[in-house]
Parts: sequence; C-alpha cells; structure tokens
Amino acid sequence: MLNLEGVHAYYGYIHALKGVSLKVEEGSIVTLLGANGAGKTTILKVISGVLKASSGSVTFLDHDISKLAPEKVVSEGIVQAPEGRQIFPELTVIENLQVGAYTRRDKKNIKSSYQIVFDYFPILKERQDQLAGTLSGGEQQMLAIGRALMAKPKVLLLDEPSLGLAPLIVKDIFKIIQEINAQGTTVFLVEQNANQALAISDYAYVLETGKITVEGKASEIKEDPKVLQAYLGGH
Amino acid sequence: MNLLKNKAVQYTILAFVVALIPLLLDINRSTLTLWNMVIIYAIIAIGFNILLGYAGQISLGHAAFMGLGAYIAANLTGNLELPFLLSLVLSGLIPMVIGLILGLVALRLEGHYLAIATLGFGVAIQQVFKEWTAFTNGFSGVRADNPVIFGLEISEREHYFILGMIILLLLVLFAHYLLKSKTGRALLAMRDSEHAAQAMGVSLFKYKLIAFAASAFYAGIAGGLFMHLIRFTEPNAWGITLSLNLLAMVVIGGLATIGGSIIGAGFIVMVPEFIKDIEFLASIKSFATIFTGFAMIFVIMFFPHGIARIGTQIKIALLNRRNSRVDKGKGGAPNGRSKG
Repeated sequence: MLNLEGVHAYYGYIHALKGVSLKVEEGSIVTLLGANGAGKTTILKVISGVLKASSGSVTFLDHDISKLAPEKVVSEGIVQAPEGRQIFPELTVIENLQVGAYTRRDKKNIKSSYQIVFDYFPILKERQDQLAGTLSGGEQQMLAIGRALMAKPKVLLLDEPSLGLAPLIVKDIFKIIQEINAQGTTVFLVEQNANQALAISDYAYVLETGKITVEGKASEIKEDPKVLQAYLGGH
Repeated sequence: MNLLKNKAVQYTILAFVVALIPLLLDINRSTLTLWNMVIIYAIIAIGFNILLGYAGQISLGHAAFMGLGAYIAANLTGNLELPFLLSLVLSGLIPMVIGLILGLVALRLEGHYLAIATLGFGVAIQQVFKEWTAFTNGFSGVRADNPVIFGLEISEREHYFILGMIILLLLVLFAHYLLKSKTGRALLAMRDSEHAAQAMGVSLFKYKLIAFAASAFYAGIAGGLFMHLIRFTEPNAWGITLSLNLLAMVVIGGLATIGGSIIGAGFIVMVPEFIKDIEFLASIKSFATIFTGFAMIFVIMFFPHGIARIGTQIKIALLNRRNSRVDKGKGGAPNGRSKG
C-alpha cells in the first residue's frame, strides 16, 4: 500500500537516510524501531512530504507521492499523529478535532467521525469543551490520535505514541491502536518501546543510522538476539 | 433575545450607538480628532492582531503598509482624481499585494529572524518614502482634500467619525467571520504548532500569505483614512515608533481578540494625551513612549492575556483560590483522606 524504495534524504549536509526501503501492507500494523537519531522521524517527514527525498521513490496505492506538498499527502489519506503530541493547546478538544477534519470534503459525515473518536476515547467526549492544553499527557496523546482519525486516514502514522506516558496508559493506547487497525485502518508505528510495539505489530523494521538493518515478522523480530539486546533490555 | 447574544449584532449596535455620541454631545474638534485616530488605529490593530495574535507571525515593519496606504490615497484622489471610496479600497489592496511578498519571506524565516527581516522591510520602505519624491514629495509631504462621498463633502469631525465607524464595523465583522471559520482555526493551529498543522493538511504557504495579506490590507485602509483625516503626511510619521506602538496595542489590549485590539488602540492613542495635561510629566521628554514601554512590560507580567481579558483572568483566579481553600479544608479535617 505504502512503499519506500531506496530513499535517500538530507538535513542540510547531514545524510539522514541512506537508501531506506520498506513496505506497509494494507490492513497491517507495521513498526519501525530505532534509537534516537536513527532517522525514524525523518522517514515520517519524507512520507508526509515535509522533507523531500533526494533520491528513491515513495509510492502510495501505486502512485508517486514523493513530490506532493504535505497537505496533498493528507488528502491522499496518509495522516500523522506527530511526535510529542503537538496538540493545539489553546483550542478546545472539539476544535482540535475540527482541525483534524480540515481536508475533509464530506461535511455531512464529519459528525459520525466525532462519534467514532469518542467511542475509542470516551474521556475526550467528557472534556470536549476544555482547552486541550489542560489535558493530561495521556489524554493529549489520545487527542492527537483522535485528531488524526478525523481526517479519515487510510494509513495512520504514529510517531512514538508511548513517549513520556505511564506504562498503564501506554498499554491502553496500544490496545486502542489495535482496535483502530481492526476497524480497517492501516497503521505505521514508529517506536522506541519495542516490547509493546512488537506485541501488536504484524511486521517490523529496525533502523540504525539511516539504514534498515533488520526486518521481519514482528513475532520473529521479537526473538532476534540483536534486537533483544539493543531494544528489549537483553532479557 | 437570542439575536442580542449574536456577537455580530452586538458589534453593530455598539458601533451605531458610539457613532452617534459626537452628534448628541458637544465635543470639541481636537478631542474628536483623537477619537477618529482611535478608530484608525483600531483598524490597523485588528489587522495586526490577525497576524500576531491568530497566526503567530511577528512583523516590526507594519508602519510601512499604513504609510503606503496614506500616500496611495493622497495620490489617487489628488493627482488621479479618483473618487474617495475607490481610492480607499485601492489604498488597502495595493499594500495587500506587497504584504503577500512579506508573507513569502515569512515562509522561510521564523521568530527572531522574521522580526529582523520585517524591521528591515519597514526601514527600507520609509527610506523609499523619503527618496521617491514623485510619489511622496519627500520631506515636504503631501496633502489631501476632505473626502467626498456621492457628492457630499465630509469636513466635520463628527461626520468623519461616523464614516470611520462604519468602515471599522465592516472590518470588525469581516475579521469576526474570518476568524470563526475554518480559516480562523487553521491560523490558530498554525500558531500553536506548525508541524501539527501541516500534519493535519493545513497549508502553511496559504495561511501565512493570508495572514500577511489581511494585515497589510487593514493597515493600508487605516493609512487611507488617516490621510483624509489629518490631510497631510510626511515620511517621519511611518517609522519604527509606529510599528512598535502597533505591537504595544495588541499586546496591551489582548492577543487574539478583536475587542482587545480596539481597547489597545484606545489606550495607546488616549493615554499620551492625558499625560500631556499633567504639567510635571509633560516636561519629561518622550514620556509617552517611555510610559508605553512600561505599560507593555506591566501588562505582560501581570495580565499576559491583555486588558480585554482581565475580567476572565480575575474570575479564574478567584475560582482557583476558592477551590484550593476547599481542598485545604478537606486535608485538614480529622480522618480526612486525600483524594488522588
């Protein structure tokens, strides 16, 4: 569904991605693991059109999206919940969701989308008129995901949704990600929390300093000694 | 009754009531000139607030757009003898096009760098006002006539006040509906997080241009109205002092509020006049500028949301205080258990 082939990308003079190829199959959850600075967020930037690849191809549903502006990529159905949540603190919860529906043309169905988001995250319904900046970290992450869902994504890109959250809340959020996927949304998950991420994923890639070094079924990656040592604390 | 709750209806009623005050009371001409100036600065402040308060983009060169509006109005009605209203619209539209160019600059620069670039833009345009004598007549300045609308000449300040109020009302309503719409939410989203706004499909290109264009349009209209009120202008009027005053207006009045822009304009125009009447303070050179600076610092420290939101701020502070007292009461009670 979403394909990267030999993608190279630069930040100024820094060669951030050195020939990355990966595939996200329709209906699956694919995880990208990697340490800080490996280039995980850079890959998301290339996919969402914020950073242009210097070479290689990015295709979505068999057509090239590497030249599209970020807002066009969103219209194509690739929507991101960015790293560090980045909710709009001075808008209310409901207004945040409205911005999420920004690219939607089917105005009539937007109401039912609120309902879908509230079904996943009932707390957001309770807090709908509250300023988003007053939400807790976990609630803000839920809002970031809910906001992305409002755009009716075909592929949902999640950048470290577990960042800075208590383990119990992370567990809840990953459960909901699984539910969202079960309802038909493809998920591309970028994580450092390998344990939780691999537990819900179908396929996984490991990125190290701009290159994919390991890939395979999530269940196999979980047993890979190299990955075990680097990302799962060696047990 | 429901109609009265509508903000647009409230604005309209308020504008008409205030517009009629000078007709009913006997107010001297110089005071009415000040009132007219409040309207004119309120217009540019609303535009500037769209840029700074809503879109989160800084500009320290907006005096240039107002000056441009003033010179365009003078030239179009004077040399080309265009009708006043048409010339007024053009004195907004031409700066708007130039505002688009500044918007393109803002796409590449952020924060401090944008402040420096716009400051440079302001200084450069002021220099153009000084040198391009065919357009501005240099330091000798240009003059303009009283505005004539459908054959009626507006020479009395009372009438100019009504004209200004109608234009202010139209621009307030335009800003109100613009900011309430999808565009307003996109601007706020861009201000709060450019990255997330982009991730939601908001085009930074489009909205930075909209913010700069709208604010330059408002500034140009204000300049056109200024020209026909004071009927004279020269390059020194359009320098950094005005740009900084503009910043003071929206910060003191309240960022991201339309009402705050108007209050801020009133504050910056009227307070120096009150100071002038106090002999002791009037003897200190540039006291008004010094006072504006202090007022801005004071407001930022104690009322960061501006004068327009002081009421809400006090209400929230009182509520918090009451809640914390209730909490303390619980904690101190015998066998009191703290609730997580």
